[in-house]
Amino acid sequence: MVEKLAATSAAGILLDLSGVLILLLAFACLGSKLFNRYVAYYGAQSVVLSFAAGVVAWTFHSTELWILAVLTLAVKGIGIPLATRRLLLHRLPLARDTAISTGLSTSLIAGGALTAFAYLVTRPQLLPHGVVAAAVVPLSTAVILLGALSMVVRRHTVAQLIGWLIVENGVFLGAITLVATFPFIVEAGIFLDIAAGVLIMLVFVSGITRELAQASAGELRELRG
Amino acid sequence: MTALAILIVAGPLAGPVAAALRARARAAGLASAAGALVSLAAAIALLAAQAHRAPLTGWAGFLYVDPLSGFFLLTVAGVTLLAAVGSVAYLSAEEDAGTLSSFQVRLYFAFFGLFASLMLASLETGNLGLLFVLVEASTLASAALVGLEGKARSLEAAWKYVIISSLGVTIALAGTLFLYYSATTLHLTSNQRLAWPYLLAHAAALAPQPLRLAFLLAVVGYGTKVGLAPMHTWLPDAHAEAPSPASAMLSAALLNTGMYAIIRFLAITQARLGTTFPHRVLLTFGFASMVIGVLFMVRRGNFKRLFAYSSVEHMGIIAVALGFGGVLGLYGALLQTLNHAIAKAVLFLDSGNVALRYRTREAAGVRGLLTTVPVTGGALLLGSLAVLGSPPFGLFLSELTIVRAGFARTSPVFPLLLLALLAVAFIAFARSTAGMATGHAATPPDPYRGSGARWAGALPLAAGLVVLLVLGLWIPAGLNTAILHSVAVIR
Repeated sequence: MVEKLAATSAAGILLDLSGVLILLLAFACLGSKLFNRYVAYYGAQSVVLSFAAGVVAWTFHSTELWILAVLTLAVKGIGIPLATRRLLLHRLPLARDTAISTGLSTSLIAGGALTAFAYLVTRPQLLPHGVVAAAVVPLSTAVILLGALSMVVRRHTVAQLIGWLIVENGVFLGAITLVATFPFIVEAGIFLDIAAGVLIMLVFVSGITRELAQASAGELRELRG
Repeated sequence: MTALAILIVAGPLAGPVAAALRARARAAGLASAAGALVSLAAAIALLAAQAHRAPLTGWAGFLYVDPLSGFFLLTVAGVTLLAAVGSVAYLSAEEDAGTLSSFQVRLYFAFFGLFASLMLASLETGNLGLLFVLVEASTLASAALVGLEGKARSLEAAWKYVIISSLGVTIALAGTLFLYYSATTLHLTSNQRLAWPYLLAHAAALAPQPLRLAFLLAVVGYGTKVGLAPMHTWLPDAHAEAPSPASAMLSAALLNTGMYAIIRFLAITQARLGTTFPHRVLLTFGFASMVIGVLFMVRRGNFKRLFAYSSVEHMGIIAVALGFGGVLGLYGALLQTLNHAIAKAVLFLDSGNVALRYRTREAAGVRGLLTTVPVTGGALLLGSLAVLGSPPFGLFLSELTIVRAGFARTSPVFPLLLLALLAVAFIAFARSTAGMATGHAATPPDPYRGSGARWAGALPLAAGLVVLLVLGLWIPAGLNTAILHSVAVIR
């Protein structure tokens, strides 16, 4: 059974603060146009997330949660951003995202509306018992929705990949604040899935970019002289 | 018993082992088929051994096989065997023609075996968290199959598939999270709070509001894998671009695995909230999928896309049957699952034969199959009739059962709508496939070298059609018991 974490305790305040920071970083990603920034904001979000997991681990003296915090930092905070930069952004020079279907201000306004909606459906009053930090649940719902929104408004594969990872961060934030943690084997499996998923997606992204580059180069040759 | 359960999951791994030993298409394919045969035999043995006993449990609830899992294991293992035999023919033809490099062939068999093994494993776990992990892992393995050809189109289809399914399954994880949360007041260990049998036993004590949210999120999330509209958009692309035996696996095995996950959530939700809410949700998604599937079948074009939209329609039918509920509805849903799986495996494997000969996937480019290649053409025609629910094939029986359940349990509007949609589907689907089978055309070149490959191409078609015919005329007593026991698990 999970005890409640008082909102006024130091740990409660730190957890709230991390939740807000994670939401702000999701907004920052939604309001950006540079691939470099997407990856940077995602990395920063994961670092804050691992800090939040550390806070809960420290409060409940949970070894499993400590391991998860370290894993989050290593895989999501360092590993994935590094791999994305090295294998994609540098190798296939990608800089500015031009495949955005709505203006940045429109997507930010839609993001604000989704955040309000998240508060409407997961008000702390609706989640009565056993919640570690009820105030963070709407924040994590909002992060999930914002990640999904950025997948919808962006058509570039790298942007969609980052959007999915943000959704995943939202679910993880919800997990640590709603129930402290899933059983460890399950959490470890989820990490394995994400790492394998990112790897296979990186292969597809570089394949698609290469094929498209060849196609457009072919067109150029045909049009010459 | 535990050994049987392990054997089922380990069987398909023969393919990856052969691929790692640098086998060529024929050898790796035969290894996969042998592994799948072992897996199917073990699944049948397990189902028979389980018939009158308590569910098999172990490893703190991570291993849990009850009649419902047994039934789905049988379906998926059967489809894997058909697809593995089909792979021998398809992949050796592609290798001989030089369309796929030997590295791609090895990659195919490695991921084919991994995909099958992960799906079978996900049917054997009672832990809903581990179920998520395995379903997501099977998505990744199958995405590699979809993108295997490495062309721009197949990579795009693979991307669409992997990103939409991953997002969907992540939503299902959020659903699992809310289910876990709804059990916080129970005095269970953290493993037990995700273990399906414990949750079902303590369903009365679950918190209703989070459970409602959990069920909705699970239907949307796993529904993405099932191909329920409007989350089906990845499905036609992935099925059209994957090598044909892999399409058969996607349509006949993967979609059912997603449906299995939904059924597990349905059972818990029903036990706590009653049937009204979950049935309404399933009827909505089911009819939406049927309408979308049927509408897109009307358009003529790529025949693999046609089969894929037919899968969307059939998953809709199964969701509607679950939404009708009752013994009759659930029985119909499970029987439909098995029948559709076999019929669709036959059709997709047959589409591989057609695609290899004609080097096109457009229905308009194919004529006169019955006269030029009678086996392929005959299988196409009979397979179409079977999948459209004409007697004497199994789908007629299961669809009749579902319609009867509808009349017995809901207002007659729903079963009548179901019948109307089935009629439109019949016309739309048969128009395309009958056009491909009839008419006159020059005989295309034979893609298969040697009679072995030709037999491997024809064998799963014949086997599948015979099973469908038998299931239409007579349901074996053992299968009947298995389905009835599975229905008892859900109710």
